[in-house]
Parts: sequence; C-alpha cells; structure tokens
Amino acid sequence: MGSDMSERGLVISGLRAGIGGPEGAEILKGIDLAVEPGSVHALMGPNGSGKSTLAFSVAGHPNYEVSAGSVRLDGEDLLGLAPDKRAKAGLFLSFQYPAAIPGVSVANFIRTARQALHPDDLTPAKFRALIFEQLDVLDMDAAFLSRYVNDGFSGGEKKRLEMLQLAMLAPKYAILDETDSGLDVDALGAVGKSVDALRKSTAGAATGFLIITHYPRILQHITADHVHIMLDGRIVKSGGPELAHEIEREGYDAIREQVAASVG
Amino acid sequence: MSASAEAAVRGVGRDSLDALIGRFGEGSVPSGVRADALARYEELPARVSIRGGRGWKHDLEKLDLSAITPYSDGADEATTLPASGAALAAGVTIERFSLARERHRASFERAFGTAVDTRDDKFASLALAFARDGVFIDVPPGVALDEPLEIDYHAGPAALFPYTLVSLGAGARATVVERTRSSGDASLVCGIVELVLADRADLTYIVDQRADEATRLIVTRRAVLGTDARLNALCAELGGNHVVSRLRALERAPGARVETVVFFFSAGKQHVDIETETIHAAGNTQSQTIVRSAGTDRGQGRYFGNIKILANAHGADASLRDDALLLSEGAHIDSVPALEIAANDVRAFHGATVGAISEEELFYAQTRGIPRAEAERMIALGFFEPAVSRFPGEPLREQLRLALENKLGPKPV
Repeated sequence: MGSDMSERGLVISGLRAGIGGPEGAEILKGIDLAVEPGSVHALMGPNGSGKSTLAFSVAGHPNYEVSAGSVRLDGEDLLGLAPDKRAKAGLFLSFQYPAAIPGVSVANFIRTARQALHPDDLTPAKFRALIFEQLDVLDMDAAFLSRYVNDGFSGGEKKRLEMLQLAMLAPKYAILDETDSGLDVDALGAVGKSVDALRKSTAGAATGFLIITHYPRILQHITADHVHIMLDGRIVKSGGPELAHEIEREGYDAIREQVAASVG
Repeated sequence: MSASAEAAVRGVGRDSLDALIGRFGEGSVPSGVRADALARYEELPARVSIRGGRGWKHDLEKLDLSAITPYSDGADEATTLPASGAALAAGVTIERFSLARERHRASFERAFGTAVDTRDDKFASLALAFARDGVFIDVPPGVALDEPLEIDYHAGPAALFPYTLVSLGAGARATVVERTRSSGDASLVCGIVELVLADRADLTYIVDQRADEATRLIVTRRAVLGTDARLNALCAELGGNHVVSRLRALERAPGARVETVVFFFSAGKQHVDIETETIHAAGNTQSQTIVRSAGTDRGQGRYFGNIKILANAHGADASLRDDALLLSEGAHIDSVPALEIAANDVRAFHGATVGAISEEELFYAQTRGIPRAEAERMIALGFFEPAVSRFPGEPLREQLRLALENKLGPKPV
C-alpha cells in the first residue's frame, strides 16, 4: 500500500461498504470526503442513509466490509489496520451507542487507552490533573471516574464519557456519530463546550472533526465549516453552514427532490 | 517408624484409620464416630448434582484414593492458627481442632455437628473420619472483633483433612479468613467447615483458596443461623486441579440473612465444581447469591445453585445471580440455578448467563487504541469485579485481582 506522508487530512475516496457476510448489502455507494486538520465537517442525513456505516467502516468495525475505495489518515492507509492501530494512527470515534464494560472503571479505561496511544507521555500526576480539568469542562465530579464504563449510564452521561475520552486521547481526527441523539439541552451544551475547549487547546487545535448527525441542532453548539448531505449511501450535496439551515427549514425531502430533478 | 511400616499406611480404609488413631489418639472425634463415618464413606454414592460438559474428566464415583498417604507423620504443621491478642483478651477461644474437645469440652460440644450432617454425605463422612488438622474458634456472646481471624492451611504430600469449626455466640461479630495453599506434590485436601451462628451473630467468612494446580480439594461447608443472624460468605476458589466446593446455609430462625459470593476461574486443565444452597426455613429470612466464573484453556466448571424456601418461610426474600464467561474454545462451564419454593408470599429471583466477551465491548476498547488481547484481559478482569469488590480490604482485593490476572497468562507486549 502506498502512503504519502505529505498528505494531510482524513481522506475518504470512493468508499463502498456494507454489512459483511452472506446477507450483506452495499450501503455506502462511493463516498468521497476529505477532513482537513483543524476543520469541522458535518455529515447530515436521514435515518438509514448510511451515516453510521461510514463511521464504523472508517473505524474498522468487524461487521462491516469495505469492497472498494480507500481511507487515509495523513497519508497512512487505514483500511488494512486493526481498529486499535487506526486509533494509534490518530483516529477517534465517538459512538452513538457506546458499549458498557462492567467492572472496568472510567479512570482505568482512559488510563489504559492513553497509555496505549501515547505511552508514558504523562506522569500519573499530570494525567490526574488533566482528567480533573476535563471533568470540570464537562460539569462532572470525580465520582464519575470510579464508575464502570457506560454501565447504567444515562444518555447524557454516555456522551459526556465519549467527550472526556476525546479530550484525554487528543486524536488527530475525530468522528462524532449522532452525538446529539437523545441528549437534553444541557448535555448538548456540554458536548459543544467540550469540542470547543479541545479546539482551543494546544493538543486539539489541529484536530479535524467529522460530525455525523440527523438533526441540525448540534450545529448550534459546534460551528461547522463544511456541511455534506448524505442520501442512500451517497453524498449528494456539499456546502457551507447555510446548508444545515436549509435542512432545518425544508427537511431532507426537498434535497431528495432536487437530486432527483437534477438526475432526471 | 520404619520405612516398611510407613509404606503400609496408604489409602483411606480401616487400616489407615486405625493407624491414625494409634499414632495420634482419637482427638476431637471419638473413634466410634470415625469408624461409622468411614463406613458411610465406603457405602454412600458420590451424588453429583449435575453432569459436567463433554470435557469433564473427573468422576467422583471412580475416585481412587488407595495411593494417598492419609496423614503426615509430624506435628500438624499444616494448620496455622489465627494470631490475635485482642481476640484472646476478649475471651475468644482459638484452638487446634485436635485438642478442642479435650480442652474446651462444653463450648466444643455445643457447636460440633450442629451445622454439618455427614449421614448422607460421602466426602463429609470421609473428612470426619480422618479429621485431625483444623481449628476451633468460639466467640462468646456479645464479643465483636474488628481484626480478622486468619487461618492458614498448607497441604503437603500427605492428604489433609481439616475441620474448621467456628461458633459465634448471641450478638457476637467476627471475620474469619480461611486461606488454603499447597505444595506441588500435594495430593488431597478433604475438609469440613462448620459455621454456627447464634441469634444476632454476624460472621464474615472468607475463603481464599489458591492451592497448587495439581491438588485435589473436596470441601463441605455448612452454616446454621439463628434469629436475625447474618452470614456473609465470600469464596475465591482459584487454585487446585479438581475442586469440589459446596456451601449450604440453613436459615433456621426468623430474620436470618445470608450473602454468598463465589468466584472461580478454571484455567489450564482445572475442573471446578461449585455448589451453593440456601435454605429458608423461617419467616422473613433473606439471601443473596452472586456467582462469577470464567473458563480459559481447557478449564472446566460447573455450578449448581439452589434456593430452597420451606412452607413456613413467609416473607422470605431470595436472589441468585450467576454469570459465566468463556475465554477459549476448549473451556466449558455448566450452570444450573434452581429454586424450590413451598411458601406463597415470598420474593425469589434467579438468573444465569454463559457467554463469551462481547465483540461490541472489544471493538469499543480497540477504537480507544487498546490492542485486542489487552482489551480481552481488561474486560475479563472487569467481569469478576462485582464479586471481587465484595471482599473486605483493598490489600486482599488487590491480591485476588493479581491472582486472576496471572491466570489470564502473561501480559501481552
């Protein structure tokens, strides 16, 4: 596999993918998308358009099979790598429905992850200081750290844990999948603040974001530089933040009609 | 003793029992009682509650003990008694089992045999017949001990038949830790544990079994609880080659409460066979049972958990939760939780799961940069945590976590 280390960005080219196995069907029908360092892209689409398939295919979920195309992170080909190696390359995925890991504390989980991604770069004292700082940003108290990962968490707590990990792991590129689903306004605000804080920090200034969402409301908390509309496994329209307002006013059906008209 | 005489003492028959009594005296178990117990051992079936899976290779019916040495010739150094000045000052009796009847006849006889009925039990009968090692602990009424009483059993080449008798008077409170270890050439540990709790007594009883993985252990544990008594039984069965561990608690009087936590991890070629039973024999009795087990390599396990609520146990409240984790293709765990309820107005719950580590959990951890093998270890250790976290004291919990971690094999690099 060729790798061009001078290329910057999370670059998805001609990606075709779907659920693997004999029952499998192609869901992504050729996706081209490039997230530059420090930029925020929003990918919007109705349920079933393939947004989560894109997130899982890029992160390497074993149930998804890529049939064509490539995904490169700053020039490094991701598709041949195990999920942990993709994380090591600099990718982070915030889950729509993160798994619970009973018996493993939040502190232990994040420490193990941080150690895997950035071995020995923080003394225990500095790790502690950093995690408490991030808890503050998220309005969480220290007791959160001794709870088991996502075990019995509310929707808001799950998203806050995803954001805590995002901050603590300082990835080069972060995909936030449906980060607004099932969140109240406070939790949504906390997600916005957290992304904001990361973008303003030294570690996160160059982080590129791909925010995957159905509803535009998360974009009131995080300003996107680019908005893409996904329908039936294809990106059918790209533009600036105004595209999100168009969806808010007119819904996905209007876009669907535009696309049908231009094709027809 | 000459080499030829030593060679004659083998197995668990009449000759070896006579040799034991001839050498050390009858101790705390009268010769006639021993002889009767041996006869029952020889007659009774092993009575295994559930069959093991395809990989199960230990059949208690065919167990051949003819080659074992039934006692060590030296002093009973296999038992280390609890050393607690505070307990002794408070009037607690801590005595070698073999001397207990002679030295503390009244308190010994009040407790001995009240929780254990060996009449229908093959291996409890064997343990009684050859009982020599062991400890008698008697905590007088109203005495509360903060410091745990720690018993150490260490089995060597000779078989070990320990008898642990713990008696708490009315309103007494204590923690007893029973640690079992063995050397690589150890053969058999066959023991009885008898826990007698008077009204309002409160006992935390901890089993920390980390015998060598070549040792066979068959231990029968029985508890009986008076009015408003509380037993918290915490059992970590991590060692041994073939382990049979059975715990039955009888809530004989109203308001008794039993919490049972057991965990085991069959690795290598270990076979671990656990039974727990709580009998609610009076009104407003409570019980909670939590069992966690894992199997890896070719490890085999089976768990039989029973809750029996008798007809007069109005308002009984019982729950039993058993979860098993399989970490390799060759490992197997059978789990049979059961409820026998004869009363109407009771609450009873039981649930069991057997499964592998979830792919979703692994993927989630991997997306955080944690390599798959390390994620598996972390998730497997976490699986035991609801059981481990119930054990008192961070040093003990850390030891148990470390022991579990070692069973997962060397840490990946």
